[in-house]
Amino acid sequence: MKFINATTCPWKHAIGEDGPKPDPDPAPNRLLSLEQWHAVRAHWPQDVPAAIEFPNDADINQLAPDLPRIALVVLDFPKWTDGRAYSQAHLLRIRHQFKGAIRARGEVLVDMMQLLARTGFDEVVMRGDQSQAAAQKALDLFAPVGFYQGDVDETRPWFLRRSAA
Amino acid sequence: MYQYTDFDRRFVHARAAQYRDQLERHLAGTLGTDEFRALRLQNGWYIQRHAPMLRVAVPYGELSSRQLRQLARIAREYDRQPDGPFAGQGGYGHFTTRQNLQYNWIPLVDSATVMDLLAEVDMHGIQTSGNCIRNITSDAFVGIAPDEIVDARPYAEVLRQWSTLHPEFAHLPRKFKIAISGAKEDRAAIGWHDIGLQLKKNAAGEVGFQVFVGGGMGRTPIPGVEINAFVPWHHILVYIEAIVRCYNLAGRRDNLYKARIKILVKAEGQKFFDAVNEEYQRILAGDPAGHEQIIPQAELDRVAACFVDPVGVKAAAAVQLDTSDPAFARWLQRNVHGHRLSGYRAVTLSLKRIGIAPGDTSADVMDTAAALADQFSHGELRVTHRQNLVLPWVREADLPALFQAARAAGFATPNAGLLTDQIACPGGDFCALANARSLPLAAEIAERYQDLDELEDLGEIDLHISGCINSCGHHHSGHIGVLGVDKDGTEWYQLTLGGGDGTKLAGGTVAGKVIGPSFAADEIADAIDAVIETYTRERLAGEHFIDAVKRLGLDPFKTAANAVRVSTAKA
Repeated sequence: MKFINATTCPWKHAIGEDGPKPDPDPAPNRLLSLEQWHAVRAHWPQDVPAAIEFPNDADINQLAPDLPRIALVVLDFPKWTDGRAYSQAHLLRIRHQFKGAIRARGEVLVDMMQLLARTGFDEVVMRGDQSQAAAQKALDLFAPVGFYQGDVDETRPWFLRRSAA
Repeated sequence: MYQYTDFDRRFVHARAAQYRDQLERHLAGTLGTDEFRALRLQNGWYIQRHAPMLRVAVPYGELSSRQLRQLARIAREYDRQPDGPFAGQGGYGHFTTRQNLQYNWIPLVDSATVMDLLAEVDMHGIQTSGNCIRNITSDAFVGIAPDEIVDARPYAEVLRQWSTLHPEFAHLPRKFKIAISGAKEDRAAIGWHDIGLQLKKNAAGEVGFQVFVGGGMGRTPIPGVEINAFVPWHHILVYIEAIVRCYNLAGRRDNLYKARIKILVKAEGQKFFDAVNEEYQRILAGDPAGHEQIIPQAELDRVAACFVDPVGVKAAAAVQLDTSDPAFARWLQRNVHGHRLSGYRAVTLSLKRIGIAPGDTSADVMDTAAALADQFSHGELRVTHRQNLVLPWVREADLPALFQAARAAGFATPNAGLLTDQIACPGGDFCALANARSLPLAAEIAERYQDLDELEDLGEIDLHISGCINSCGHHHSGHIGVLGVDKDGTEWYQLTLGGGDGTKLAGGTVAGKVIGPSFAADEIADAIDAVIETYTRERLAGEHFIDAVKRLGLDPFKTAANAVRVSTAKA
């Protein structure tokens, strides 16, 4: 898991004097809202990878045709107990075989780390008061044991792993 | 019973260690109260009116005597209020309508130690609370019922493992309950669950599930509807994944009371069904890892091997019992049930006793039940959705001895299925959610209906009492249901008639109908009396209460109940 500091992160919003630019010019390291992406996707060059902030109440499957042009998908936790983005990340990794980065932002807490890692997130922007050391510990807790279900890293459920062992 | 593997054991210990880490961070002040809340809930810790409540999972109701002794030890040593206004309270557990066990008085500082003690006997509180897939319930007679089509236990266990700490489904819009029945008679109330699974065999003899979705009680009681007539058994994890994913993504999160899957199913109907069935096909056909979620025959066989009959149990010649003692004969008729093996019976140990709340069981009583299980039932017990215990492996020849022992221990009230075998939640005496107390009414009914001849004459009546609209006491499904409501800080009680939990007697999954405005606390027991008197006056020969309600309609019962109103009588 990569712990991201939002201020030093190279991906930047395309903001003009009056707020987000409705139709930003192509540039490296653009962090675009879904609306901005819809505005630019038809005319941006194919070889300028973008990062997209995707809301948790939209259908993630609509991104599928664009995924080769996307380096980073940022998924949202407006509240940490709102678990929609776990399903979105799972679908990106398992169904659409997305190889770019998936980042969690919003109310991201230490005790979500395991769920995030297992559904396909590999970057997090944690809430300011959260401890990176505690997050790392939370990630390591079940590592020696494993889980019953498959997940994005180990797609086989335990019943297949044990018979293979 | 399911035998824990080394993996299962390391897993529950890891979970206990994870919880201890969270508790320590909470006590040290680095994990806030709100955030700790959602974490402890998914381990069964719920803050009640006076102290935390711990709900321990009893998967599909199966319990060993060893586990029950450990539960007794926890009650004795940890379920205690050392000081404060409730000093000395505790020392017992409460068996619930979802086959679990709750403690009411364990101090939070001891909670991690209790999780370790549970892990020692292959138990836990994982997902017994919170907005996740809850402990999976089944028929208390699963594996032994004469009307069984398929033994549901291996499937229930595979589902338990799949749902445990599922990373995608840990924070659903709302709680999510699954029940499985493998018998002709639905004794698991599957129609009242978010997902109800009915095991079936098709014409070719293959096993599969009839799947119901969107059942639930609460504020808006809705019976589940069939979403798929036959899902092959080895696809069931995929099918449930499809349902829960569609719900996780589309279920409402803006209103707590509209967040259950039943609201989504009701709002979208066929559109939701189509989405689920499409998702099911996409996982199977399109997802590279989809086929890995299909249950292999070898895995079903491995789990099923845990549920073979105990060593030494085999069909035997039926025993002619001496029934000259009327008390024994009555107990035999009421609390002793059929078994798929000749020469064997299942026996209800009643937890409905005068002066004790339904389902409440002290540490000593748990130990006694464990001893009876060892002596008469190969160390195995079941927790029933009616809040009793069942011994599943009793030899017919042992019934007279078991009767004596059960009677001496207070387990032999011959009322299984009768009026005083009532279901009640802990209500306002304990629960922070409750609007009214349920236990004083349950006690009042138990007091009034002590005459066993009268009870037997009234026949099978499901009386269900909930202290609030969350419906833990299943009032919607009672032939007689009572709901506690709060108006201006006073307790009131709404009376419903004609509900059904899914059994043939009740006519399936039916929500009862409210008769008139709420009754005052000092009227409700009289109102129930009046309803029952109306039944005894109007019934046809051999007619059950529930059938009389259906035939007569609500009016005669309503009129009789209204006649007992005092403070709520219209001027």
